[in-house]
Amino acid sequence: MSEDLDAAVLVAVLNNRRDFEIARDQGWYRIPVKRAPGRVAADYLAFYQTKAFGDEGWAVHYLAPVRRFRIVTRAELLPDEPDHPRAGDAYYKVEIGPLQRLPRPIPSRSLRRITFIPTTLGRLLAAQEINDLWWRDDPQERLWRALREAGLQAEYRYLAGEPPDEVPVDFALFCQEGRIAVLCDDLGEGRRTLGEPPMPDYALAAGGWRVLRFTREDLTDRLPTCVGAVLALVHQLGGPGTG
Amino acid sequence: MRRLGFAVKVLGRPGLKEHDSRRWQNNPHLSVSLAYLRDIFEYLRSQRIRMYRISSDLAPYLTHPDMPQFHGQIEECAVELEAVGRLAQEADLRLSFHPSQYVLLNAPDEDLARRSAMDLNAQAEILERMGLGPEAVVVTHVGGVYDGHEAARERFVRRFERLPELTRRRLVLENDDQRFSVADVLWIHRRTGLRLVFDNLHHYNCNPEGMPLREALAACLATWPADVTPKVHFSSPRTEMRVAERKDPATGRKEAVLQPPDWTNHSDYVNPFEFIAFLREAAGLRPFDVMLEAKAKDLALLRLREDLARFAPDLAETIQ
Repeated sequence: MSEDLDAAVLVAVLNNRRDFEIARDQGWYRIPVKRAPGRVAADYLAFYQTKAFGDEGWAVHYLAPVRRFRIVTRAELLPDEPDHPRAGDAYYKVEIGPLQRLPRPIPSRSLRRITFIPTTLGRLLAAQEINDLWWRDDPQERLWRALREAGLQAEYRYLAGEPPDEVPVDFALFCQEGRIAVLCDDLGEGRRTLGEPPMPDYALAAGGWRVLRFTREDLTDRLPTCVGAVLALVHQLGGPGTG
Repeated sequence: MRRLGFAVKVLGRPGLKEHDSRRWQNNPHLSVSLAYLRDIFEYLRSQRIRMYRISSDLAPYLTHPDMPQFHGQIEECAVELEAVGRLAQEADLRLSFHPSQYVLLNAPDEDLARRSAMDLNAQAEILERMGLGPEAVVVTHVGGVYDGHEAARERFVRRFERLPELTRRRLVLENDDQRFSVADVLWIHRRTGLRLVFDNLHHYNCNPEGMPLREALAACLATWPADVTPKVHFSSPRTEMRVAERKDPATGRKEAVLQPPDWTNHSDYVNPFEFIAFLREAAGLRPFDVMLEAKAKDLALLRLREDLARFAPDLAETIQ
């Protein structure tokens, strides 16, 4: 494994054992061009394995160096599925080297769904859990740390809603009697880079979320007030829980 | 609507690389660089930036004489180059290259000149394979003075004439800040037809003929065909004290010393008042795109937009 801790890593999702075997035995991973995230390029791919992997599920265990990118059709990638509805669609075929097991797995505390996470090798190797992987704008990073110091466990970039219409919530907190969506207005790489529309409060409220919004100015100049507002709402909702 | 662009490195998004920077032992590849470029295009789209200078290291070790394993990358990436070029066209994104200072077409050393030509050819071919129009160019300087100013200019012309047609079509020439002024590049233009990129800071630093700025700018703009938008480079000089390292002759120890500014250095941001004055000076000339050369890169561009909206809203309306 390279010692370049700034090396770019893209954490990708493995939903099934066949894709894992393709990555391990054939050395590639696919990303549909039309639905590709804002960032696909990386020096390494790491893999978040979902519930299909049993005991190894809901965690990142493996890393592999990226060799090259190709653009090919799905039919070229998976010739045994010529009649698939997306057989003619373009895919990034990310060719990778051998899978390397991480010194320790990076679990998701809340067994959550994720999409792609761009990060670095340094962050990956130091991460205790999935939420440690993300780049955060400075104000968001300070909020993240302040929430931790206040004893609150948040999930960063949590996907609210149901596929394919889910929208990332900057910080999700789960309480005994509800859940809280903290949205950082005009912040966050995801929304701006991907051109995501901000999810309206009523849509989140309909999904059972209580919404708090903070601006960059709030987080920069009035961080204790922001954390206080979160703490108050957590208290109002019966304290930390599973939402 | 004229464009504002920036060069290579993206500062507004942490971790967004401009090319595959891995060492040769780790087998970097143009295809990985193109994936980074695609990610940068996504960022440019989100910020409504429509002009960008691509890293000269896009194809790693492409022309390295001792590493033939890297020489075929352009052919290997034909599909990916076309795809990323299509993204640029869909976004109306103007792209360019500006080879490093080691590319010296007019060097007396034939081998150095040959390798320089290889770099220029490669960058021109990348733009060509991306399917980009004539606005996508490779910007170079005349080079060194060596055995004399006029001989160096003459040698540049001879070497230019030996380049493949594709490279000659993509190459444009920029005045520099020490050796070859706007008058010099105009001399070369008259012999070669090369299009010229005017650089304001270089002109301030190297203008022995005393050519007025508006006249120099107009002359450079006139070298571009009527149906191709010219481009210029703009930057503000860095005014801060510099910290230099000097060896104390008495003790042999290195020490930091403060020195006055070098007016050829770029500032972090663009001074909006200088930029506004420049555009006012250019009023009535044909429209041109502006590549900003500022150390704060895209952050400088975004700040300049805000500054224009505040200090010169009439100009802000004409710039994207």
